[in-house]
Amino acid sequence: MRLVLCAVYIFIGALVFAIPNMTRRELLFAVPVPPDFRESGAGRNAISTFRATIAAAVLAGVCALLLSPARLLGATMVAVWIAIFLTGGISFYWQNRRLAPAAVQYTRPREAELTVAPEELPRFAWLAAGPFVILAAAARWLYLNWDRIPARFPTHWGPSGQPDHWVERTTKAVYGPLFFGAELCAWFMIMALAGWFGSRRSRSRSVMLGGMMAAEYLVGLLFALIAVQPLLGIPIWVIALAPMAILIPLVVVLINKMSESGTPLDPTPNECWKGAIIYYNPNDAALFVEKRDGMGYTLNFANSWSWVLLLGLALVIASAPFVVK
Amino acid sequence: MAQNPRIRIDPASGVSVVRQIADSLRVLLVEGQLVPGTALPSVRRLATELGVHFNTAAEAYRQMAAEGWLDLKHGRRAVVVPRVVPAVRNGAWTEDFRNRLRGMVAQMRSRGISAASIATELRAMAKVVKKS
Repeated sequence: MRLVLCAVYIFIGALVFAIPNMTRRELLFAVPVPPDFRESGAGRNAISTFRATIAAAVLAGVCALLLSPARLLGATMVAVWIAIFLTGGISFYWQNRRLAPAAVQYTRPREAELTVAPEELPRFAWLAAGPFVILAAAARWLYLNWDRIPARFPTHWGPSGQPDHWVERTTKAVYGPLFFGAELCAWFMIMALAGWFGSRRSRSRSVMLGGMMAAEYLVGLLFALIAVQPLLGIPIWVIALAPMAILIPLVVVLINKMSESGTPLDPTPNECWKGAIIYYNPNDAALFVEKRDGMGYTLNFANSWSWVLLLGLALVIASAPFVVK
Repeated sequence: MAQNPRIRIDPASGVSVVRQIADSLRVLLVEGQLVPGTALPSVRRLATELGVHFNTAAEAYRQMAAEGWLDLKHGRRAVVVPRVVPAVRNGAWTEDFRNRLRGMVAQMRSRGISAASIATELRAMAKVVKKS
C-alpha cells in the first residue's frame, strides 16, 4: 500500500512539475510574457526554481511515507498531501510575483458575429448522458444481485490498505455512492453547459466542454466502482488508481488539443487577475474565461452566476453525509 | 455560405466602447449589410463576445434605437427597422463633415500613414458610398 501511495504522490508531483509546460508560450506562472521569454535567463531560472522546489517536496514526502512508523502512516499520508499542494501553490505564486515586473498587457481588438443562430452544442455533447447510464446500470446490477451483496461490507480503508470501517447492507449503504456520484456528475454537466454558453466563441471552447465531460466520466466510473466493490471485492488499490487511467490521457489530450486550437490568448486585463488564478472583472460579461495558470477555463468571479455554480458544488458536498452511509 | 456581419472593437483605442459598438453597427446599417427585419444578438451574447459589461452593449443598442435604426421591445431581441432618413438642408452638413474628416486624416497622418495611402482609402470609400 505504501508503494501505491508513493506512486500516486509521484504522479501528482509530476503533474505539478509539468505546470510550466501546461500553458501557452505567452504565459508563464500566470504572467503574460513575450512568447520567447521562457528561453531568457529570467524565464529559465523561474522554471528551474519552481521544479527544484516541487521535486524536493515530493522526494521528502515519499521518504516520509516510506520511513513513517505504521501507527503514524495515516497522519503522514495527509501531511504529505498538504505539503505537496502547499509547496506547489506557494512556489507558483512566488514565481508569479517574481515575474510580475516582466508582464506585458496583450491587447487585441475583439470581434462579435452578429448572428442570432442558436449556439448549437457539438455533436459529442450527447455523451454527457453516459456517466448517468453507467451509474444507473450499476444500480440495476446491484438490485438484481441484492442477495449476493455481503450483509456487512467495508466502506473505508486505512493507509495500510486494510478496511477500518464497515456498514450493514441497507438501501442507503448500497445505493448511496451511486446517488452521490450522480449528484456530482450532474454538477459537472451543468458546469460544462455553463462553460459552453457562458464563454466567448472559440475553438478551445469545444476542448473545454470535452474536458468537463471527461471529468464527469471519471466521477461516474469512480462511484460506480465504489458501489459495486462489495459485490465484486475489487481491491482498494484498483479503485485508488483507476482515476489515473482516465486522468493521465485526459491531461495529455487536453494540452495537445488546446495547443492545436491555435486561438490567440484571450486579452483579459492583467489587473483583473487576483492572486494569479482568480479572475474578477465586473466589466466582462463572460462567465468563463481562459485560465492563465494552466490549460482550460476558469470562472469570472465578478459574475454572480459563478457563485451560484460554486454554491451548487457546496450543496452537493454538504449532502454527502445524508446520502452516503 | 455568406458570412454574418461582424463588429469589431479595440479596447486600447481610447474611444469609448459604447461609441465603438454604435459606430460599427451604424456602418453595417448604412452599407446595407444589416437590413430591416434582421435580428441582432442578445445583449448578453454581444457583451460576452466583446468582453464588455451588459450595460455597455445595452447602451449601444439604445443609442441605435434612439437614432431610429433598431426596435427594442422588452423581452425580445433587437431588430433592425426601416428608418426614415431625416431631411437635411443642402450644404448645412458639409462643414461639420469636412472638419471631422480632416481631423481623422490628421490623426492617421500623425500615426505615420502616408497621404497617398489615405487618399487611396478615401477613393475606395467614395466608390462604396456611391453604390449604397
